[in-house]
Amino acid sequence: MPLLVKARSFLRNLFSSRRVEADLDQEVHSHLELLTEENVRAGLPLQDAQRAARIELGGIEQVKEQVRQKRVGNWLRSVLSDCRYGLRQLRKNPGATAVMIFTLALAIGAATAIFSVVYGVLLRPLPYTDANRIMAVFEVNSKGGWSHLADPNFDDFRDQNRSFRAIAKYNDNVVSVSGTSQPTRTTVAGVSPDFLKVFGVQPILGRDFMATDAKKGAGPTVLVSYGYWKQYLGSPQDLSQSHLKIDGTVYSVVGVLPAGFRFPTGVDLWLPADLGGENPSRTSHNYYAVGRLRDGVTVEQANRDISAIARRIHDTSSEQGDYLLKDGIVLPLQNSITGKARPALLVLLGAVGFLLLVACANVANLLLAQASVRERELAIRSALGAARARLIRQFLTEAFLLSLVGGSLGVVGAFWGVAGLVGLAPQNLPLLDSVSISIPVLAFALLLSTAVAAGLGAFTAARVTSGDLRKSLGEGGRGQAGSQGSQRAGRVIVAAQIAITLVLVVGAGLLGRSLMKVLEVNPGFHVDKIVTMDVSLPWVEDPKAKAGQAIFFSNLIDRLKQIPGVRRVGATSGLPMNQDGGLPEGMFLLMAQNEIPKTRDGFGALFQQKERIGNADFCVASDDYFQVLGIPLMRGRIFDERDGADAPHVAVISESLARDRWPNQDPIGHTIEFGNMDGDLRLLTIVGIVGDVHEYGLDAPPRPTVYVNLFQRPRAAITLTMLSDADTRLVTSAARGILQDLNPEIPAKFQTLSQVYSASLGSRRFNVILIGFFGITALLLATAGVFGVMAYSVSRRTREIGVRVALGARSSDVLRMILSQGLHTVFVGVAIGIAGSLALTRTVESLLFGVTATDPLTFGGVTLLLVGAALLACFIPARRATKVDPMVALRYE
Amino acid sequence: MSPEPTSLLQGTLDLLILKSLIAGEMHGLGISRRIQQITAGTFVVKPGSLFPALHRMEEEGWISSFWGESENNRRAKYYRLTKAGTKQLEVETKRWGRVSWAIAQALETP
Repeated sequence: MPLLVKARSFLRNLFSSRRVEADLDQEVHSHLELLTEENVRAGLPLQDAQRAARIELGGIEQVKEQVRQKRVGNWLRSVLSDCRYGLRQLRKNPGATAVMIFTLALAIGAATAIFSVVYGVLLRPLPYTDANRIMAVFEVNSKGGWSHLADPNFDDFRDQNRSFRAIAKYNDNVVSVSGTSQPTRTTVAGVSPDFLKVFGVQPILGRDFMATDAKKGAGPTVLVSYGYWKQYLGSPQDLSQSHLKIDGTVYSVVGVLPAGFRFPTGVDLWLPADLGGENPSRTSHNYYAVGRLRDGVTVEQANRDISAIARRIHDTSSEQGDYLLKDGIVLPLQNSITGKARPALLVLLGAVGFLLLVACANVANLLLAQASVRERELAIRSALGAARARLIRQFLTEAFLLSLVGGSLGVVGAFWGVAGLVGLAPQNLPLLDSVSISIPVLAFALLLSTAVAAGLGAFTAARVTSGDLRKSLGEGGRGQAGSQGSQRAGRVIVAAQIAITLVLVVGAGLLGRSLMKVLEVNPGFHVDKIVTMDVSLPWVEDPKAKAGQAIFFSNLIDRLKQIPGVRRVGATSGLPMNQDGGLPEGMFLLMAQNEIPKTRDGFGALFQQKERIGNADFCVASDDYFQVLGIPLMRGRIFDERDGADAPHVAVISESLARDRWPNQDPIGHTIEFGNMDGDLRLLTIVGIVGDVHEYGLDAPPRPTVYVNLFQRPRAAITLTMLSDADTRLVTSAARGILQDLNPEIPAKFQTLSQVYSASLGSRRFNVILIGFFGITALLLATAGVFGVMAYSVSRRTREIGVRVALGARSSDVLRMILSQGLHTVFVGVAIGIAGSLALTRTVESLLFGVTATDPLTFGGVTLLLVGAALLACFIPARRATKVDPMVALRYE
Repeated sequence: MSPEPTSLLQGTLDLLILKSLIAGEMHGLGISRRIQQITAGTFVVKPGSLFPALHRMEEEGWISSFWGESENNRRAKYYRLTKAGTKQLEVETKRWGRVSWAIAQALETP
């Protein structure tokens, strides 16, 4: 019962405080009257009676306050009153308050937005059951790099390991799929039977793959994604009638996977791998592998396990050489997906943290300036008995109000920020679709705001309430002694701010210079006015069927040339700078004319002869491809009509290959064997040398490349390149119509080469834009910080300056005095900043191109920029100081 | 008034207020005078201690209040003991008994 009474009192105190107060007031007054009456009865005259009563009562307001302090929920009342008082303070300086809230909103919003990306990509667990138990497995090659798994190696890993509950291999590629409402280019994965077990996923309809589905010659079966089942199959409950023609073969749909499961990214169809049989080579690296650890097995144990198996394979295999695995590695799947994005994202997070510090410094300075104006008020409160703790709480309350309002606005802004970031982010950033303002991100924002509030509040309170507050009561008029200390604090903050800003802007400068250096690189081909079209025909092995496909492409190219505005049409097996990956890489053999081994083993022996082998990327192209992309012919010739299907096969090689493989020799006329790439063992005669192409982006060196003729070495999947003056959309729709006309079952994907080129610069541009934005914002904030502190200092020193001028100081003396005071602070900040930059830019080293982490030009330029901005910020208040009229200044007080 | 009013021990005030209200409902001044009377002038309760205690005890549910008329027809706030308050008085009395016995023992020890 008493608890109920207490609760009722709590609510009454909180919600009908006015009635409670009135009641208390009446009670105390009535008590006073009763006392007076008593005194009168005791024989005192009325006036003395009243006086005695008052003395005994001891002050109406004090009694009331004592009662209030004992009430239930008094703490809440006092917090609320702190808040009310804090709000009044903030409203008193609406300008400063708005600036502080905006600054905090900007910084907290930016930090929240960046954190949402970091969380979505790096921290958030993958959406699978016990996702941290899912591992990626790679081979480690002789150079220490990681490579995909060869079939027999995977089989050994699968059969011999003791660490994995389930292990599966997979690959993915884009193929043409028909048999649905419209033909599509769909990403399909070839997977081994345990694939879904690794992820702990089961079909929501139909069945999982069984071991028999993967046997050579089994009836082709396919699992479909939930989205594909709904969109293209019409969500049938009975799958027995659902069939898909994938890459020319009809597959029965046997199962539908749950919504949201799409691994690898973007895949809609999963087929059993190796329906045509496994590749027996231990050096054909065709598959990724994933496994789920057994309970209790650690990543390190699994690593040792796989590594031992891999080294055993290395020691016993007959296929020795650079392409045979040397070791194996196991790492969490999430790390393997996001590993490349990690350094850049962490740098971004660090940068936004710096921005936050710079912003907090500005707010701290504004708070200090306000607090020093309030010194008298604080002194009075302290004299009236306010405890220091209570004053500190007041500052904390105000800081909380500020940063919670700022933080909330920041989070609202972050919603747009995240949308912008996702739009701006490079397409190859993994897990981008899981980036959003989620509960953990909101929790982060709240935590950050709280930390900022606690830091700012504690700092201001500590600065202001240190020392003897009451002293400033003694100072006449506007206190100045106390503010001396807060001005020194202000200068320390500004120096720190400049130091941090310098680090940030140096980082932005280094990344910006890297981007410029990258853009200076000649890609080796023209980018403009080229429309590309990806077409893939079903994969065939039969030479006759291959020849048929060559004719199909030849017809297609002839028809495409008729499109108005299209000048030339080329074809290639792989566009440079393509985000989907580059050309296949392999070893070729130098051969004498007419020297073809009869057997596989014969080849194996040749590959052991070091002087015969060379290493290059393999590209299938048409003659016009070089013209369309403007890849220059250096020597010899490109393919022409002489090089028909039955003529001797020819090849064109890139300049770097010619230089590296045939130093001081003329490669033209030499013959090579490169049939391991496409199964055609006819020798290739080198007829020409063309310019290098930066296949993997401007910042990667060009790869040595062997080009073969599309019409001699036909291929099912081709990218057509159309050099056109006409509008891209017109060309695209005309080309789509032509393809439809030739074969309605084949879909196509269009993009312009400049889109491909621009996407290849995506992550670099993303980093430069973001860090640049943070750097510029920090620079503006720091400049504002310098200006604020200097202006405040000048306004505080008005009287002193007046005295100096009255005593004969010239305005140039005043200017020099103020400027030197400001620049002293700036130089201290710059010196610390340079030292900090030298230490910190090492972390961005992996993101740089063509500049060192200590690039003197960047350091010098940024220092000049910062000093210039700070000088300007000092100059305005300094000039104002020279305008001080001694008479006005002295009368001012 | 006693020439040397003793300051109240922690917790004693509650006991004295409860005890004085046994006699019936009373206003603040009445309680104050009653305490003075029953302690033979040893304790004088100032309003600055009395009112916070009264309000706190009311919030605890030991006493309840209502507005009434004083002997001379003045409006005054009256307090009376609740059931919980009677029980609390028993508890406090026992506790006080133990404490005073213990203190007396301690002081008698040579």
